Amino acid sequence: MTSDFRDWNPATRWKSLGTVLGFALGLGSAEAAETVRFSRDVLPILADHCFACHGPDAAARKGGLRLDVREGALGPGKSGKVAIVPGDPKASEVIRRVLTADADDVMPPPEAHRPVSQDQIATLSRWIAEGAPWGRHWAYEPPQRPAPPSVPGVSNPIDAFVRSRLAREGLEPAPEASRETLLRRLSFDLTGLPPTPDEIRVFVEDTQPGAYERQVDRLLASPRHGERLAWDWLEAARYADSNGYQGDGERTMWPWRDWVVREFNANRPFDDFTTWQLAGDLLPSPAPEQRLATGFVRNHMINGEGGRIPEENRIDYLFDQTETVATVWLGATFNCTRCHDHKYDPFTQKDYFSLLAFFDRTAVDGGGGDPQARPNLEWPSETQKERRQWLETELKASARTVRTLESVKFPRPAGKPVLEASGVRDLPKEIQDALAQDPEQRDGARLNPLAAHWRTNDAPYAGALERQKHLRDERDGLNRSIPRVMVMEDQERFRDTFVLARGNYEQPGARVVAAVPKGLSTSPAGSPTNRLGLAQWILSPGHPLTARVAVNRSWQLFFGLGLVKTSEDFGLQGERPSHPELLDWLAVEFRDSGWDLKHLHRLIVTSATYRQASRTPPEIRERDPENRLLARGARLRMPSWMIRDAALFHAGLLVEDIGGPPVKPYQPPGIWEEATFGTKRYEQDHGASLYRRSLYVFWRRIVGPTLFFDVASRQTCTVRTPRTNVPLHALLTLNDITYVEAARALAARVAGAADTDPERLRWLYREVVGRLPDAEEEGRLLGSLHGYRQRFATEPGRARELVEVGEIRIPTDLDPAALAAWTVVCSTVLNLDEALNVE
Amino acid sequence: MSNDPLNPLDESHLLLNRRTFLGRGATALGTGALASLLGRGGATAAASGGGLQGLPGYPPKPPRAKYVIYLFQNGAPTHVDLFDYKPKLRELHGKSVPDGYVAGKRFSTMTGKADGKLLLAPVEPFHQRGQSGAWVSEFLPYTAQVADRLCFVKGMHTDAVNHAPAISLMLSGAQIPGRPTLGAWLTYGLGCETENLPAFVVMTSVSKGTTCGQIFYDFYWGSGFLPSRYQGVKFRGNGDPVLYLSNPSGLDPSLRRAMLDDLAVLNERKLREHGDPEIATRISQYEMAFRMQTSVPELTDLSKEPESVLSLYGPSVREQGTFAYNCLMARRLIERGVRCVQVMHAGWDQHRSLTTELYTQCRDTDQPSAGLVLDLQQRGLLDDTLVIWGGEFGRTPFIQGALDDRKNWGRDHHPYAYTSWMAGGGVKAGLSHGETDDLGMNVVSDGVHVHDLQATILHLMGIDHERLTYRFQGRDFRLTDVHGRVVSEILS
Repeated sequence: MTSDFRDWNPATRWKSLGTVLGFALGLGSAEAAETVRFSRDVLPILADHCFACHGPDAAARKGGLRLDVREGALGPGKSGKVAIVPGDPKASEVIRRVLTADADDVMPPPEAHRPVSQDQIATLSRWIAEGAPWGRHWAYEPPQRPAPPSVPGVSNPIDAFVRSRLAREGLEPAPEASRETLLRRLSFDLTGLPPTPDEIRVFVEDTQPGAYERQVDRLLASPRHGERLAWDWLEAARYADSNGYQGDGERTMWPWRDWVVREFNANRPFDDFTTWQLAGDLLPSPAPEQRLATGFVRNHMINGEGGRIPEENRIDYLFDQTETVATVWLGATFNCTRCHDHKYDPFTQKDYFSLLAFFDRTAVDGGGGDPQARPNLEWPSETQKERRQWLETELKASARTVRTLESVKFPRPAGKPVLEASGVRDLPKEIQDALAQDPEQRDGARLNPLAAHWRTNDAPYAGALERQKHLRDERDGLNRSIPRVMVMEDQERFRDTFVLARGNYEQPGARVVAAVPKGLSTSPAGSPTNRLGLAQWILSPGHPLTARVAVNRSWQLFFGLGLVKTSEDFGLQGERPSHPELLDWLAVEFRDSGWDLKHLHRLIVTSATYRQASRTPPEIRERDPENRLLARGARLRMPSWMIRDAALFHAGLLVEDIGGPPVKPYQPPGIWEEATFGTKRYEQDHGASLYRRSLYVFWRRIVGPTLFFDVASRQTCTVRTPRTNVPLHALLTLNDITYVEAARALAARVAGAADTDPERLRWLYREVVGRLPDAEEEGRLLGSLHGYRQRFATEPGRARELVEVGEIRIPTDLDPAALAAWTVVCSTVLNLDEALNVE
Repeated sequence: MSNDPLNPLDESHLLLNRRTFLGRGATALGTGALASLLGRGGATAAASGGGLQGLPGYPPKPPRAKYVIYLFQNGAPTHVDLFDYKPKLRELHGKSVPDGYVAGKRFSTMTGKADGKLLLAPVEPFHQRGQSGAWVSEFLPYTAQVADRLCFVKGMHTDAVNHAPAISLMLSGAQIPGRPTLGAWLTYGLGCETENLPAFVVMTSVSKGTTCGQIFYDFYWGSGFLPSRYQGVKFRGNGDPVLYLSNPSGLDPSLRRAMLDDLAVLNERKLREHGDPEIATRISQYEMAFRMQTSVPELTDLSKEPESVLSLYGPSVREQGTFAYNCLMARRLIERGVRCVQVMHAGWDQHRSLTTELYTQCRDTDQPSAGLVLDLQQRGLLDDTLVIWGGEFGRTPFIQGALDDRKNWGRDHHPYAYTSWMAGGGVKAGLSHGETDDLGMNVVSDGVHVHDLQATILHLMGIDHERLTYRFQGRDFRLTDVHGRVVSEILS
């Protein structure tokens, strides 16, 4: 909540210039002894309170004054007065104007509702008194690798940075979490799935040095790791299985999704991962995978609404592409510059359209709602490739057979067409037309009448024709079923790109050429002026943002919040990093490691900081509710997709096939139908498809799967999703078929796991929360179990209903009453706060 | 602890159990946690359902209305056939649009350039109604009867020419999807009173047999960058109104209660051991889920509604998923303390159906809309409730289709002028505000832009539209973007 409702009362603000300046000159509190730092202390004040009218946006600038660059602030404004006189706060117009009681004169003007506080005025004054040293926003200076502070007993630099900050704050780190907790946390974080009780046992019993590191290596090597990382990338890439908007045609971008999983598993360096997705098609002799990767850029929504102007669509797609790339790699809020120069960050509207121009070279014209709009890339499976090959060969062979038969059947001089054979001219027109075509060229409309005509009096010939027809149908069907992934492909001659006034496609202004935003980093020498050059610029060693933005997202994945909390915005209005040196160290380490993601993740999860217990004394929780200081481990409610995957896993239902076309699990009836007036019908899958990982669930953009919550809508790029806590989530995990079926399948596992109820309950706890129940928990749940069983024994009909929820059939020796009772207990345990959280 | 919570007859035991739990909770959790357990106050009381907290000190001004019911007419009702009477259209029926009316204006690709298009007379006759003499056509006989209770805003205009962007603009202040919607802003600012129902509820319907293709995108009731607890909860038109509301077959409410008691006790144990306040919130959310399992069926149980009330809404009021049913439900929702109800009805997109589907459309919406106003008034709820009726733009005074093909007469999208009406809390009844030119083409006086209407709605709810902001990606966003003026002329 950032609304500012403070009263504007010049009278109370006008204390005394003397007081403020006295404070400013170091006569105030002890804190004043510390030097004011421009980028940390001053720039945020200027940005928040001044830049809207005196910042980078030339069109909005008032009084000819610009406070975002030194020359502007130190030179005279339109009034002739000098805003900032280094060394002399009293002579500085800025100070006079924030202090004055004159409502016409005071800055910021009262109607802006952004008054400057006394402390902020003091800071400005001190900074001017100290000579007004200038600097840049921290995120626009390239990261340098800081030396980790020396902290005794600490070897991981992450811990050195975190511990030294804790020491400054007078805080102690939390002890390491228990091994059970730790492995559960690590398994969910790295694979999205829980550890098995056996895995926990092995880890707990491993007393050799390096036990934890061995678990880290095992999990990083698991193919589940790529699936886990892919979810977040898909949200950033606004991946979906349909277009969005009216029509909402189904697309086939999933080979791109599978590519992402493969690349994460292969630990593709992040620079290649980036280059391929932005510009794989522009690499020298690009491999199919490299072209496939550019599907990233084409994952945007497509609007097929009738009456839409294609050009308007086309521009919308370009906006989306530009802003997605800016968010994902630059942590920049480029959407602000669509209509005007940025109010806070050094990006102009021209920068926006120059960046957009990189994407404005394809043949995409914005017309229609084709969910495989060109340029696209066919992506057949190996089986499809083989089958197609076989079909083509067979088609040729079968055409030869037909040709041979026809040479006998319709005798004529060599080289003459069939039509010149005797008697052919007497055949019906339709038959003549068909015969006129070479057998290889004839389609179904030709072959059908032909075969029908001779079915009774020349069976062998008709048979050959029918075979030709079948082969052809199969080949055509096969071709239709082969996924086509929308990819990037520049045209040799491409259209001009213009700055669009207010972002309106109808108001082109100055022509721009593709160029990277100025002032961040220079492009490597010789880099081409196309998307490949853009990628090279993004990955250039001196780039201030790319590595920071990337490591910050990784941090967010493990701690719930990034070191920069606003992981989508590293600009002046974003939040400053909680640990700036650590962020920079990680950024440089990541880049210098060859953009090695697994190295980065290993570094993070092996840190003592990550391994801390999440419990903390109430006073520390109160002092640091969001855990920004990292004096404890993270405790986070799992993403909803992970909750589902975990439930399926515990139930023994999870089907771990990697990749392939999307699946449609249970969903309440009528969801699609209601949203689309019946034009889209949800046809739920059966069998194994019900139990695939959530990553593979079909994502209809206009009405996303109902079985997830707090997920990105997949409509536009999202790099940070909320974690809320509302009753609708409880209803889902209590009542959705997926979860009830999982509970009963888990109940069947419980039944087979041991012979007595107490043993069974212990097994259940170990399975789901990775620990044994204590006496209170055991007493409570066994008591309930007993009651449930009695209840279901008297109402066998209800018991049967409950144990038949869902489609899976599990043979069990347990009677329905017992199974139903255990189902309720399993559902209870799956809904425990502890089960829903990674602790 | 005695442990047979499963005796189905022992309801008192269950109740006691809960009391014990809450009682102990009071000492074990501290006041903040307890407050959130009870669903109100506390830093962690974060619920899409009841007792949702508003901003401190909100509403900052004395509100004229406490609840909003937005009867959104998706597809754009034809203002020149329903409310904006233009005799000159009849006079010039079949003639080209005179010079100066459409020069330089953008229409949808279906129209392209509007020059030379033929004007079309209103399909049905108009009459002046009631004391106020407001014009309402024969398409809407029931609305006509309540005309004196309504305020017609006849100078509405918008920026967008296609449905989704225009609806998005109307409901969220921006054409591009992803901004918080009116209901989200209202609940963010004001919270809501009920502990048993969501703060912001959405219902949708479409007339049977219409050929309309507009979709109810979920961003029409999204929370954008506001926390997701402020997003509208869509009540469905068939089956459980709230997804996953029903217990699985075989599990009756007493078993569910027993199970939730176990969960509460075990989670409370965890809370004691760990101290994470999110656990307290979780406990309260599971309790609220249980309450919703009771309150929603109670909400939808119409058995206690007298026939005289039901008949106000027309014949399809008992049929779940109809506009009439949704209007009645809107009243029942605000009666129970829900802050904002958005009832959306699609099918107003008469490109070629002015003489056919428009009748169906009016039949399905006219009586329920008027009935809602009457019902609210009879109960004394209209003073506290703001009812808004309208679409995303108007329809062209000129024809789409051929003049000699009356069966397929249509009108295209028209952003330059249209009519909405408002009723209830703080709005002048019996007023027609604003005027269009003699063809209904452009607003000539007292224009009300979409952002002005939004500013006015917030004002009526006691909120200054320039002050209710939320910082996202470095900018303070608000519903009205950088625009909007409270239309003081229509305030009572």
